[in-house]
Amino acid sequence: MGRQRHLWLAILVIVSAGVALPSPAAAAPKTAKVDYNFQIRPLLADRCFLCHGPDPKKRKARLRLDTPDGARKAGVIVPGKPEKSEVIRRITARDRDHMPPRKSKLSLSKDEIELIRRWVAQGAEYKPHWAFLPLPDVVPVPTVSDERWPASPLDSFVLERLESEGLKPSPPASREDWIRRVTFDLTGLPPAPAAVEAFLADRSPRAFEKVVDRLLASPHFGERMAQDWLDVARYADSFGYQADGDTQVWPWRDWVTGAFNDNLPYERFLTWQLAGDLLPRATRRQRLATAFCRLNRMTNEGGSIPEEFRNEYVSDRIHTFGTALMGLTIECARCHDHKYDPMTQKDYYGLGAFFNSIDEWGTYDNSHFRPTPTLLLPTPEQERVLAAHAKVVEAAEARLRQVEQVRENAFRAWLARADLKPELPGLVGYYPLDKLAANNRLENVANPKAPGSTSPANTLVPGKAGRALRFTGDDAANFPNVLGNLDRPQPFTVSFWLQTPRVMKHGIVFHRQSGTDTGFHGTELSFDEGRLLVALVRFWPGNAIAVRTRAALPAKEWVHVAASYDGTGKAAGLRIYLRGEPAQATVVRDRLTKNTEAGDTGLTFGERFRSTGLKGALLDEVRVFDRALTAIEAAQLHDGRALADALLRKDEAVLRPYYFGAVDPEAAKARDQLRQARQRLFAVQTGVFEIMTMEDLPRRRQAYILTRGQYDAPKDRPVGRVTPAMLPAFPKDAPRNRLGLARWLTEPRQPLTARVAVNRLWQMFFARGIVATTENFGTQGALPTHPELLDWLARDFVSSGWDVKGLCRKIVLSSTYRQRSAATPQLRDRDSDNLLLARGPSRRLSAEMLRDAALAAGCMLVETIGGPPARPYQPPGLWKEQNAFLPPYVPDKGEGLHRRSLYTFWRRTSPPPNMLTFDVPSREVCVVRRQSTSTPLQPLVLLNDPQFVEAARGLAERMLRDGGATLKERLVFAFRLGATRRPTERELQLLKQLYKGQRDLFRKSPERAQKYLRIGERPPALGLDPVDLAAATVTANAILNLDAAVMIR
Amino acid sequence: MNVKQPFDPLTITRRHFLSSASLGLGGLALGTLLPRESRAAAHAPGGILGAPHLPAKAKRVIYLFQSGGPAQQDLFDYKPLLNEKNGEQLPAHVRGGQRLTGMSVNQASIPLAGSVFKFDQHGRCGAWLTDLLPRTAEIADDLCFIKGMFTEAINHDPAITFFQTGSQVAGRPSMGSWVSYGLGSMNENLPAFVVLVTKGKGDQPLYARLWGNGFLDSKYQGVKFAAGKDPVFYLTNPEGISPAGRRAVLDTLNALNRVQYERELDPEITSRMAQYEMAYRMQTSVPEVTDFSREPKGVLNMYGPDVHRPGTFAANCLLARRLAERGVRFIQLYHQGWDQHGDLPRAIRVQARETDQPSAALVCDLKQRGMLDDTLVIWGGEFGRTSYSQGKLTKDDYGRDHHPRCFTVWLAGAGVKAGLTYGQTDAYGYNIADAHGQAINPDKSRFTPGAVHVHDLQATILHLLGIDHERLTFKFQGRQYRLTDVHGHVVRDVLA
Repeated sequence: MGRQRHLWLAILVIVSAGVALPSPAAAAPKTAKVDYNFQIRPLLADRCFLCHGPDPKKRKARLRLDTPDGARKAGVIVPGKPEKSEVIRRITARDRDHMPPRKSKLSLSKDEIELIRRWVAQGAEYKPHWAFLPLPDVVPVPTVSDERWPASPLDSFVLERLESEGLKPSPPASREDWIRRVTFDLTGLPPAPAAVEAFLADRSPRAFEKVVDRLLASPHFGERMAQDWLDVARYADSFGYQADGDTQVWPWRDWVTGAFNDNLPYERFLTWQLAGDLLPRATRRQRLATAFCRLNRMTNEGGSIPEEFRNEYVSDRIHTFGTALMGLTIECARCHDHKYDPMTQKDYYGLGAFFNSIDEWGTYDNSHFRPTPTLLLPTPEQERVLAAHAKVVEAAEARLRQVEQVRENAFRAWLARADLKPELPGLVGYYPLDKLAANNRLENVANPKAPGSTSPANTLVPGKAGRALRFTGDDAANFPNVLGNLDRPQPFTVSFWLQTPRVMKHGIVFHRQSGTDTGFHGTELSFDEGRLLVALVRFWPGNAIAVRTRAALPAKEWVHVAASYDGTGKAAGLRIYLRGEPAQATVVRDRLTKNTEAGDTGLTFGERFRSTGLKGALLDEVRVFDRALTAIEAAQLHDGRALADALLRKDEAVLRPYYFGAVDPEAAKARDQLRQARQRLFAVQTGVFEIMTMEDLPRRRQAYILTRGQYDAPKDRPVGRVTPAMLPAFPKDAPRNRLGLARWLTEPRQPLTARVAVNRLWQMFFARGIVATTENFGTQGALPTHPELLDWLARDFVSSGWDVKGLCRKIVLSSTYRQRSAATPQLRDRDSDNLLLARGPSRRLSAEMLRDAALAAGCMLVETIGGPPARPYQPPGLWKEQNAFLPPYVPDKGEGLHRRSLYTFWRRTSPPPNMLTFDVPSREVCVVRRQSTSTPLQPLVLLNDPQFVEAARGLAERMLRDGGATLKERLVFAFRLGATRRPTERELQLLKQLYKGQRDLFRKSPERAQKYLRIGERPPALGLDPVDLAAATVTANAILNLDAAVMIR
Repeated sequence: MNVKQPFDPLTITRRHFLSSASLGLGGLALGTLLPRESRAAAHAPGGILGAPHLPAKAKRVIYLFQSGGPAQQDLFDYKPLLNEKNGEQLPAHVRGGQRLTGMSVNQASIPLAGSVFKFDQHGRCGAWLTDLLPRTAEIADDLCFIKGMFTEAINHDPAITFFQTGSQVAGRPSMGSWVSYGLGSMNENLPAFVVLVTKGKGDQPLYARLWGNGFLDSKYQGVKFAAGKDPVFYLTNPEGISPAGRRAVLDTLNALNRVQYERELDPEITSRMAQYEMAYRMQTSVPEVTDFSREPKGVLNMYGPDVHRPGTFAANCLLARRLAERGVRFIQLYHQGWDQHGDLPRAIRVQARETDQPSAALVCDLKQRGMLDDTLVIWGGEFGRTSYSQGKLTKDDYGRDHHPRCFTVWLAGAGVKAGLTYGQTDAYGYNIADAHGQAINPDKSRFTPGAVHVHDLQATILHLLGIDHERLTFKFQGRQYRLTDVHGHVVRDVLA
């Protein structure tokens, strides 16, 4: 690296960032060694690789210039011999052979051609792209002439570069500017006046360190760091897409804040988010972290095809993983091999294979029913109550078993009786389906007051007994008010005769469910590839119990079917009987953590909203029981004699379960108590907060390369879980899952992870990364302005144990960071974008900082950390206007209006306009770099948004109350709260004029003052003259609009 | 990208400014660019292209987006066969294995549904329209009907996002953003890209991303005008603040920021000062443009009685014309409510009543003012609807599901062939058909006469604005992005 440094210094980089230093070609002396990575590749990538690059489909003339093998073929490039190289001939040709072709509208300048010629003359040495080279173990720190300036090794890199340019660093910023800068950068908030005073008074050598250590220890540090990570993680409080339901993932946001405050090493920060669930003995916090992988948008638009969207979500995880963690744009490889970077379609789907094996569904109906997989987050109080209820359930279960033992004598006495009848107690509905009464009623023999009904489109035809109901497939028969809503604690048996015209691939037999085609919840019996499936569903498939018969139901014959459930909430409690026999069945899902909350009551047969119905099927003799029948009872329903025969035979083995299940009053009582105990336990469980997280299926889902990225066009060849071939190999001893992936990603020599991380942190402090394209370290990205500094920072970061606070500390205590940001005209001409770092950073406050700073200045910022999202002021009607599916936006009362912007409710399809105006991304996809625009809508927000007006009033009240006796003192006080420095005389003069002018205006129309002071929910302070306060509010608002308040300098 | 950097202090950005400085304007920028001067310089418009690639036919666009997917079979696409075969099942060979949405794919029966509305031919051109659109029928000779539109998405969100941003994936710039990025603003008092949504319609939602700037600077974001007191968010001075009071604040801010500028020499300061002035001008210009009180009665009548109620489609159409007159480049209207899965005959009547007269009036109004020659008007939704009934088909009721395979859009104005009906569908109105009426399955990667893919329409719109759709690009994440992705053909057949 030492030798290379001089090379890098000779090259003034900046290709893709489009900024303005002299071009590499012009700057380098004619004899200097040409560097492939920094001089040649950017040219070739921009002008040649589209047709002669990595993509075989776009490749022309079967020539590729991105690899030495490709280029040296057939004399295209002859190392050392430009005159014999076809490439040189082509780029200098004046005829039709000219490259790039004229119609491509691309061209090479004279200097660029000369540079390529020299590179060929020097041997045409290729190198892998700089960012893909392993992170060096040691990065030597350069020596500099001015040894006093560097406060940290990182300064030496900056200074060496400046010295080579003949430049000097700028003098340090004033103490006020520095503490303002560092406080915003580390906490997102302005420094408190007392903190400024203390710092100005502290002449000790450790004064700066003391400030930094205090800020790093502040809980606001985590909030500030979380702010940027939420953009990266595409965090939002709603799902995005169409109806845009609420995500309820804010506990993850609080996890992020806590992780930064605890200084969780970055390597673990990533590992937990990618694979916390796979860690040995994973804790709840580690599992919670994996919500990161679930923050993709989700749809609940009717008619959506779940598999299409499930694939979208996997893709979104790949894109986020690539952009956020590896600084690579891999989206292109979804449809084809990447055109510029060595990233293939296989690499893309290979990465996706790590993220596709969770028990998820492509749509959701209503986010109250959380998309699986999920994690339950009970409060300590709930945990206590749950444990207590669980004990009661256990006791009730024991009691029931006990009854069966102690009442053996009762059983024997009963068995000895001569008058036993084959009774099936618990019948709550019996629908013979023999005649249609008025209003399409269907008689209920068991309970004449609760008849069923059918759509008149279904007809009565000759059946198994009398007549039967024949279904159209699009019309239902309903049997309401018989059995509640068949939720988790409710045992039931439903029996009937069924005849289908063909083997039913799909089709709903009966259900008690709510929802739409994007997701149903509740109880159902349906056909699944010809077999019968009975299920209780909260969210399919991850939160459900279901069993399915092994054999298909035969067509064109009457079959007796009974489905039963015992109220345990377990798949083992589900039974299907066919022809009176328990059917061989497979457990499909066995995890139901909450009630299904289906709502409504009773059963619906033959049809479900937008689902396949029972077209042409016949139904007869429907019976509904409020308990799980025993086997002999199911047999009795089928043949009308099995139980009677057993009673005659006195068949003890068969009749003991029957007795305790159906006859014994003590057992019935114990069972009822158990049901009630379960009901209470289940109710508490259902109230526990639930959050989407990652959890792999027991069997991995096979991944495929998808043609043009389409979900329904998998290529034949399956893809395993593989990492991109161009990067270091997957660790041999690591598991092929997300945990292994995290290990691969955080290996100490991984080229990208640490570079990308330190670059993003650098960007936080300097407004621009060392690589300007924070999102793209690939060949099309910008080259680093200080490559060795980047490597040193990255290596140091890894060696420090991925210590985030440590890195922040190094940066903010560096001499580079401490410089004044103001530029001399010469420096501005020379380096307008401050690429060389000859001055300190400056940038506009982010949307969040602007609002938080105004609230802080107005002394109304609520500093509570974490919790559900807050709803501050927003233009009325905003959500509803665009989206009738959304609830109206109701601003919070009290604290919620004045919490930090980090907590503002983020609706993806309609983000808060006052924040969107200041360049906050919509959070629909991963964004690692915000723009910084200025538009006319921004002043409108800062001057007119009630939030800012109210905050200005807060500041005005402070200034009148605590700012001192004279106007001058008060203005200085307010100015310092907004800008952290004292105003100059001239500034003071102008503010005085403004204040007096406003006071005169309000004095002339005091009713205006009254109106102005009523803006915002917080009432104006008592005891202040309204005219004075209004004038002071206008003045305070103006101060908060000043460059000095809006910028960090 | 090798393009001229425009100089436009109205919408200047930091990066923007510095790039200008690096091109030799630095001295000027540093020395003289103070608010008064920047105000004057604001007359220089400019987008990234500097000058259009091609001679522009259209200076501006008014896009009347009909959100939800209007049923072409009940408005434009005359299919007597559907009425003949009303109630019969959609033949499998017509469906051709094409996927249906989850809303009707499980129906036991998918009966063909004829239209209950009466079709007739109109104008010299003989365009077919139903009696739902009497006013549109009157201007048929000014319109160009594209019968063979097709798209890729079958659900609203992806489909409308695709139409408005060229991608089903979120995060891409909208059409209006691309256009203002490319061509810049034509006025100094109003945004270049304005969005108007019919108030209180409900139905299928709209999303901020539809007029979002994606990865372009947020200055290219569409600015939504709402009906009511604050047409633009936060436009109005807070209660109690008089215009004089506000002016004094702005003057003080200017003076104070000038002090700060002398201290920092940062051009971003002057740039921000220019924004404060533009904001101030918008406070006057926006209420002016939304105030119809000086519109002649005859004009108001032309748009129909709804025009008096702010936020209606009629009022938005008139507002669109006023914005167009004042140099707004891209005016995007949205009218929700076309998603008729059921109860179509009743619901579509309401939709037609709300949109027919104002749409026609807008075209006439522009024509009267000579503005139709350089204004492109577009009318249409994100996809069409099925020829079979979703849900029950009865004598006078039916519904239609989403149908991306064919639908109708009309264009009018600048550079578009008036009185043309372009392309056709098969006898079932289910597939795009060739010249002989035979169903075809067009492929977006190559142009098929009569079949217009969404990217083709986008390419054509840009072409009319003088933009080569392949050359209006923005490099993001290492790739050159454009509105038409890697597809799109200019539909030359519809150009005048």
